[in-house]
Amino acid sequence: MNAIAAVNLTKKYGDFVANDNINLSIAKGEITAIVGENGAGKTTLMNMFYGLQRPTCGEIYVNDQKVNFSTPLDAINCGLGMVHQHFKLVPSLTIFENILLGAEINQRVVLKGRFEIHLPFIDRRRERKAVDRLIHDYKFELDPDERVENISIGAKQRVEILKMLYRNVDILIFDEPTAVLTPQEVDELLVNFKELKKQGKTIILITHKLREVMEVSDRVIVIKKGRVVGSKPTNQTSPEEIAAMMVGREVMLQVNKEKKPALGNKVAYRVSGLSTNNYSGKKVLNNISFEIREGEILGVAGVEGNGQSELVKVLSGLMVSTEGKVQLYDEDITNKWPNELRKSGVGIIPEDRYAQGLCKEMSLSDNLIAGYHSDGKFCRYGILDKKNARKNRDTLLEKYDIRVADPEGAVSQLSGGNAQKVIIAREFDSDPKVLIASQPTRGVDIGSIEFIHNKLLELRRLNKAILLVSSELSEIMGLSDRIIVMYKGKIVGEVEGDKADSSRLGLLMAGITK
Amino acid sequence: MKNKNVILSNIYSVLLPVIIALFIGGIIIAAIGENPFLTYQVMIQKSLFSAKGILKTLHFAAPLILTGLAIAITFKANIFNMGVEGAAVLGAFFTGVVGFSLKGVNPVLHVTLCLLTGMLVGIIFTLIPAVLKAYFKVNEMVVTLMLNYVVAEVVKFLAQGIFKDPASGYVSTYAIAESAMFKKLFNSDLTLFFFIALLVFGILYVIFKKSKLGFEITAIGKNPEFAEAAGMNVAKKIVVIMLISGAVSGLAGAGFLMSEKYRFTLDFSGSPGLGWDGMLIALLGNHSPIGVFVASVFYAALKTGSEYIGLFTNVPKDIVGVIQGILILCLSVKFVSRNTGLMGRWTQWLGKIRSKRENAMSVDGREGEQG
Amino acid sequence: MNLVDNILYDMLYHSTPILLAVLGGLFAHKANVLNIGLEGMMLTGAFSSALVVMLTGSLWLGLVISVLLTLVLGLVFSFLSVTLKSNFIITGFGINLFAAALSAFVLKFMKLANINVSSVVDVASLKIHIPLLADIPILGSILSGHTAITYAGYILIIAAGIVLYHTKFGVYVRVVGENEEAAKSVGINANAVKYAAVLIGAALCALAGMELSVERLALFTNNMTAGRGFIAIAAIYCGRGEPLKCALYALLFGLAKSLAINLALFAGPISGLFEIVPYLTIVVVLFMVSVIQNRNNNVRGFKLE
Repeated sequence: MNAIAAVNLTKKYGDFVANDNINLSIAKGEITAIVGENGAGKTTLMNMFYGLQRPTCGEIYVNDQKVNFSTPLDAINCGLGMVHQHFKLVPSLTIFENILLGAEINQRVVLKGRFEIHLPFIDRRRERKAVDRLIHDYKFELDPDERVENISIGAKQRVEILKMLYRNVDILIFDEPTAVLTPQEVDELLVNFKELKKQGKTIILITHKLREVMEVSDRVIVIKKGRVVGSKPTNQTSPEEIAAMMVGREVMLQVNKEKKPALGNKVAYRVSGLSTNNYSGKKVLNNISFEIREGEILGVAGVEGNGQSELVKVLSGLMVSTEGKVQLYDEDITNKWPNELRKSGVGIIPEDRYAQGLCKEMSLSDNLIAGYHSDGKFCRYGILDKKNARKNRDTLLEKYDIRVADPEGAVSQLSGGNAQKVIIAREFDSDPKVLIASQPTRGVDIGSIEFIHNKLLELRRLNKAILLVSSELSEIMGLSDRIIVMYKGKIVGEVEGDKADSSRLGLLMAGITK
Repeated sequence: MKNKNVILSNIYSVLLPVIIALFIGGIIIAAIGENPFLTYQVMIQKSLFSAKGILKTLHFAAPLILTGLAIAITFKANIFNMGVEGAAVLGAFFTGVVGFSLKGVNPVLHVTLCLLTGMLVGIIFTLIPAVLKAYFKVNEMVVTLMLNYVVAEVVKFLAQGIFKDPASGYVSTYAIAESAMFKKLFNSDLTLFFFIALLVFGILYVIFKKSKLGFEITAIGKNPEFAEAAGMNVAKKIVVIMLISGAVSGLAGAGFLMSEKYRFTLDFSGSPGLGWDGMLIALLGNHSPIGVFVASVFYAALKTGSEYIGLFTNVPKDIVGVIQGILILCLSVKFVSRNTGLMGRWTQWLGKIRSKRENAMSVDGREGEQG
Repeated sequence: MNLVDNILYDMLYHSTPILLAVLGGLFAHKANVLNIGLEGMMLTGAFSSALVVMLTGSLWLGLVISVLLTLVLGLVFSFLSVTLKSNFIITGFGINLFAAALSAFVLKFMKLANINVSSVVDVASLKIHIPLLADIPILGSILSGHTAITYAGYILIIAAGIVLYHTKFGVYVRVVGENEEAAKSVGINANAVKYAAVLIGAALCALAGMELSVERLALFTNNMTAGRGFIAIAAIYCGRGEPLKCALYALLFGLAKSLAINLALFAGPISGLFEIVPYLTIVVVLFMVSVIQNRNNNVRGFKLE
């Protein structure tokens, strides 16, 4: 029996076909991995299964019954639940309130033992009890009274799973569940998967990480450009074959890094004793010190939310440090404003592409000069030289292989990979002395990842200093000469690039330093 | 081709609200038993269908161009500066003071002094919300609204007290000296002030479209986080933008006083006021200088025409305010983005019907093949 | 009554319309819809209640119709801002301008300068003296002798707190405001919740308006709300959307007004200038609250609001 089957499922957005005649079936009680590149159409497919989007045409069957979901609630009522990549939790509510959100238990008054009256007030005591039982049944480690804003990412994910289990679903879809976990948390999650499978649940795992696919799944379905391009039992395939199916050609799964010790080189960038507080006064950076030499890539690893964002913000002038010093060669650049930093020769690839890196609604040529728009090249007597900006755009589009339908149009038309290349082009072309790169390949297709990695290595060869912050552990290990690990705003360890292995880094990322 | 489409859809997205607002306004006029067509006809005929009417319309458009631009420059940067009204009123008041206190001055000098006073007062007034917003993150909208009430009370106090003209029957300051008045040109209402407004329009056009500041205003308005990361020093720019807005607002008040009112009265700014008219105009003009210009003329025509409807119908001229309110309501919808706005929905809906039909056709086609 | 008694009595008196608007705006604020239209809704409440009372002579009919009309305005606001996803700040201003213009238009059409209902409504008789409370020496003169809507306003502070924090609807309002996606993912109809939040605000604004015109003065004049809707928004900002805190700020702003009026009696020639005290107080309070809230802020720049 099939848990889910799709017949000729198609989803179009205007002229763009996100899913093109998808036919697939997912067997009950199995773990099925659906893999594909960013933008291949996996998420669209799952959103249609889950009632978040309606198919343009085609049919969906759940447990061999034809279904037509218009909201996620319909899907949940049909026994289909989804754990999203970006958790759908309410930070200010407690764990049990989040689990029962939308299914609250109201207070009741029983009159004369017969008439039951539902009051509009929530019965917190009974809600708690129900969640306690659930946590016990599935052997999860959670305190139901904790507020969600105070718990770890792994715990948040467990809350999401419980939210679905409370609603008695037997098909669970996981969208990129391991993207933000430490290696140890990933292992734990994979154990949970096996436990859920044992209890008869069907699991669909959307991912682009092949290690998990090989380890836990029964079948792999590969999607490329909105079409199913392969479906095989996991034990009859290999990571290389899956990767080739995903991209359509052979891929190097490992970055080729030429070894060139930077040990004797001059120190280009030095951070000493850097600290800062967040909005509520909590110390989010605590005495951070490191140095980067010319021709060196320093990787910063850590579970998200351990101070990396704040570190990048302070180093790029978007946040003020309360203590400490930042030096570029002999120049003190502590707490300088972003325009001053750029003038000194600091290139910045910010963490959130569309928040800090680009302005979606502005044109390509405007985006490609942003940050350097005061340079004499583009601006004279306060008047912008738009012609020169356009010339600059044409050069950079060519040089950095940015594919764009309408060069006069806005940045919003670009795919994730090409948008990221716009930032790369802008920052690399200004010839920085040091580059701060935060999550440079997040949400980017494999082709662009290769391109960006090669560009970073090229910069390293030119003897520039690079700070690489990434939550993608393989990226950090593949590119860095040295790796520092952040935990709760502190540096908890440093590892040589070629001596790094994921289990050692994973322990450091969890704050275990022994 | 594409550019033409964009322009067309821009025009539609302004025309549609105007038509809806006039339509609902017409229903209200009909509801009080009057003829909406006659009312609108009077409005347009008197303001646009004679040379004199047109010149009068342009005369009343002058302060509106300025307040419209003053609002547009802040709205474009996503700053809700409602202090344009306060700056215009306060600027006008002190312009009046300078206008009647100095006597026997060379007219050119006197006019210049008066205009500078208006601008300076506008700048000083706007400095408060600007600094509070930029350096202390105090919500500028509430602050400017509160300060507007402060201005209203202060000028009321001063106009009733030390600056009151005892010869006047109602609360009013002394009339400004002849040397501070703009002279009527071409035997019409038009004065030099209109050309000053045109000059400011030209300067702001360059700022909006060509300058580095204009580029930064757009970036700050669309994505302030990005603007900061790109080294635009947003706080400093907010102060600059607000002060430009304050100067232009003060100038609007000063010019209106010197070209039309000649003395400060409590209803100087009208109802709902020059600043509020400016808000409508900025929205109607889609924050672009040329749009603001066209919108000011349109709105000035409505206002000029409304002065005459009382002669021909029983419709109070306050109908213009009602239409203004509805117009702002309609414009708020398209203002955010084309995709979520009314027009966007309309085209999306059309697209949906079209693609449904295509689907149906393609399904038919497939069946045909199978058969 | 001595001066202090007067000031405190007037504080409660002047706080009422602000308080009602605060409580009304609170629900919308919690649901992440900033309702700038409070001012216009209050004005509509004041105008329509006075008009209906004048035409029919019935206070109850005035209450019902003004609430209904304000709800219509609330529906317009929520249709534009929630369903059509307009810029709700602009929509709110549109509501305000429309309400002000329409009332002025109708007054002009009826050839009235204002609506005076003192022949129908005896303002003094609307003040309720609470039996036991009124006899307590000082407290009695402060707390007793207010109008029905005033008492309702203060009771509603507690009611709003209970609804927001202990009922399903209140939780949904907060969830929709905090993370709309989370709400949608478990099948909560976010738009319906927003509509409800805005409409609650509209109804309370109608009460505030009626208190202002009919109950307090038996008189409606153009633009008589004089920025109270925006003062309510300032109170919501300062109190960060917590019912009790916001109510306290409403009281503070009421106190500023009461001080200005009571002290102006002694100010002689500059008494007219005392009118600016309430407005300046709000600017100063907003400034101080912002400084305190941002004292730990190390982040540069601004976010899209």
